[in-house]
Amino acid sequence: MPEESVDVLIIGAGAAGAAFAWSLADTRMNILCLEQGDWMDPSQYPSTGSDWELRSFSDFGLSPNGRGRPEDYPVNDDESPIAVSNFNAVGGSTILYAAHFPRFHPADFRVKSLDGVADDWPIDYATLESYYEQNDVMMGVAGLEGDPAYPPKQPPLPPVPLGKLGQTLAQGFDRLGWHWWPSDSAIATRDYEGRAACINLGPCLSGCAQGAKASTDVTYWPAAMRRGVRLETRCRVREISVGENGLADGVIYYDADGVEHRQKAEVVVLACNGVGTPRLLLNSRSKQFPDGLANRSGLVGRNLMFHPYAHVTGVFEEPLEGYKGPTGCCIISQEFYETDASRGFVRGYSFEMIRGMGLVGTALWGMGTGQVPWGAKHHEAYARLVDRTAGMVVICEDLPEPHNRVTLDPELVDGNGIPAPKINYQLSENSRKMLDHSVDRAREVLEAAGAHKTFADAPLRPAGWHLMGTARMGTDPERSVVNEWGRAHDVHNLFVIDGSVFVTAAGVNPTNTIQALALYIADQIKKNLTNLFD
Amino acid sequence: MSHDPQADGLSEEQRRELAGVLDALIPASGDGRLPAAGELGLVAQVEEALMRTPDFLPVIHQGLAAATDLAGRLGAGGFASLTAADKQQVLNDLATEHPALVPGLIFHAYGAYYQEPQVVEALGFESRPPFPLGYAMEPDDLTLLERVRQRPKLYRDPSGP
Repeated sequence: MPEESVDVLIIGAGAAGAAFAWSLADTRMNILCLEQGDWMDPSQYPSTGSDWELRSFSDFGLSPNGRGRPEDYPVNDDESPIAVSNFNAVGGSTILYAAHFPRFHPADFRVKSLDGVADDWPIDYATLESYYEQNDVMMGVAGLEGDPAYPPKQPPLPPVPLGKLGQTLAQGFDRLGWHWWPSDSAIATRDYEGRAACINLGPCLSGCAQGAKASTDVTYWPAAMRRGVRLETRCRVREISVGENGLADGVIYYDADGVEHRQKAEVVVLACNGVGTPRLLLNSRSKQFPDGLANRSGLVGRNLMFHPYAHVTGVFEEPLEGYKGPTGCCIISQEFYETDASRGFVRGYSFEMIRGMGLVGTALWGMGTGQVPWGAKHHEAYARLVDRTAGMVVICEDLPEPHNRVTLDPELVDGNGIPAPKINYQLSENSRKMLDHSVDRAREVLEAAGAHKTFADAPLRPAGWHLMGTARMGTDPERSVVNEWGRAHDVHNLFVIDGSVFVTAAGVNPTNTIQALALYIADQIKKNLTNLFD
Repeated sequence: MSHDPQADGLSEEQRRELAGVLDALIPASGDGRLPAAGELGLVAQVEEALMRTPDFLPVIHQGLAAATDLAGRLGAGGFASLTAADKQQVLNDLATEHPALVPGLIFHAYGAYYQEPQVVEALGFESRPPFPLGYAMEPDDLTLLERVRQRPKLYRDPSGP
C-alpha cells in the first residue's frame, strides 16, 4: 500500500467520490481514493442466475446488518423506524440503487424563505444547474424534455420504456388529471459511451449485469483512473489525524488483512454518505477536537434526514408484464410536491412507480399480506396475484431536526473494532401527516388505474437508503459544519462532498444532487487552489 | 453414529416428515399443472436454507417432532402418511404451541417453489435468469403526455415568476 503523502485523499468510492475524483483529476495533483469495499463482478450479480430473487434477501439484501459481506459494517438502527441501507464497494450505493435520477427543484434550496421552516441553502439551483447537466452526460441520464414540474432540461438519452404496467398507471393519473412524467433515470436506454443499452432485466436493485445502469464503477471511475487517479480497495479508514496546526494530515486505515497503515495527505475529502461520514468524523478525536473532527458546532451527526418512504401496491385483474423493465424507473409524479398548507403539512413528496414483483416476491408478499394462504387455497390465491401487482413508492421530504442523529454506538463495533454508527430518528408530525396524505393519494391513483385492492406500508422500514444532513452546509460556523463549497469551517483542508452536506432533503432521490454538488465543490477547489486553506 | 442436528441437519425420518409438511403447505393444484412442493423434491433445498438459519433449526426439530407425535395420536405412522385433510389439521393445531414453525417454513417453501423451473414454466413464464436475454418492450406512445405538457409551470421558482 502506498504510504507516501498524496495531495488529495478521498475516502469513499461511491457516487460523490467518483464524480469528485474525475473532476479534480484536471489538476494533475496526486489523488488517491481509499474504499473499504472492492470492485464488483457483474458476472456474479443475481440476475445472472435463477436464484436471483432469493439473493435479494441474502448477499444482495438492503441492510448491512443482514447481508454478511465482509465489507459491511453494522449499524445500530434499533431506535429508528427506518433502517439504514448502504453498500460498500467501488460504486458504493449506486451498485444497488434503482438509478432514479431527478434533480432538486429551485424551491428546494429556499425552504426557509418560501415555507418558513428549516433553513435555506447557501447555494441555489442556478449554482448547480451546469453541474447537473455535466453529471447527466457523464452518467448517461434517460428522460424526456418538457416536464412542467421542472425548469427546462435535456436528458441525453430517451426515457426508459413504460411498458404495459407504466401505461396502465399513466391512465390512472390521467383520469385524475394529475401530473406524471417518464422518470429521469441514470440508465443507458441506448448504447452509450462504451456501455451496452438496457435490456429490461428487471432486478436493478441487485446490480446491473448488463452495465446499463449508471453505477460509478462503470461511469466515472474508469475515466478518473485514465486521468491518473489511484483507487485502492479493501482499505477501511478508522480515523482522520490532525497535526499540531489543527489541519488534517492524513488517515489511519486497515487493509484487507487487518494491518494498520497511515496515509498522509495535504487535503482530505470525505465521501462516505450521511452515516459513514459523521461516523468517521466522530471517531477522529484529538486534543484539538475532543468531540470529533470539525465538530466545534456540535452538529456533526445531527439533522439526519432519511426521506420517509411509503410503499403502496395495487392488485389488478389483468397481467401487467411487470417483470419487464427497470424495476424502480418508470413514471414519476410530482402533483403534490410543492407546499400547499391546506393539506395540513409543509413541503411535499414524489410518487415513483414500481414495476411488478417476481414469482418468489409475489408469493412472499402474498404471504405477508395474508392474501396467499398455505394449503388448499394456495394456488387459486396465487393465480389472482401473479403478474397483477404494480405499485409506487412515496418519497417524503423530512425536515432537519437536531435530535435525529448519528452517534457512535458505545458497544457495537465492526470487523476492525471501529465503533459502529448508532441512529436515533423519530418521525415528525409533519412527516406523519405527509405520509398519511400520500398513502391516500396513492390508493386513489392506483384505483383510478384499475386496481381492485391496495395495500400500504408506511413508513417503509428497509428504505433508509437516502442518508442526508449530518454535516450540513452553511455560512455560519455555529450553525453548520462545512461552508458553501464543502470546506469544513474548523479544518480548512477537510472537505465533505456527500449527502451529509444537505441543508434540506427535498422530496426526490438525492444522487444526482450529491454528484452535482461534488462536481461543484471540485470546481471551487480548483478555483481556490492558491488560497485553499485561508 | 449419533446424529448431530446442528452439524448434520435433518435425519432421514425428519426429511420424510418435512416432505409431508411441504406437500401440505403447497399441495398439488387441482388441475394437475402444479406439483406439490414435497413431491417436487424441494426438501434438500429447503434443508439447505434452514441450515443457513441456525436460530430456526431448533424450531424445525421441535416442530417436526410435534407433528410426528400428533400424527401418531391419529393412528398414523408419521405426519407424511396422513391424509391431506389431516395434514392441514395437524399444522393448524401446531400453530398454537409452535407459532414460528409454519411462517418460517412458508418463507423457505415459497422461495424454493417459485424458482423451480417446472413451476415457472407451468405458470406460463420463461424459466431462465433475466440476464443475458432480458426482455423486449414495445416503444411507448408518448402522445399520452400531451395533457401534462399543456399544464402551466408546476414548480416554484424563487428567482422570479
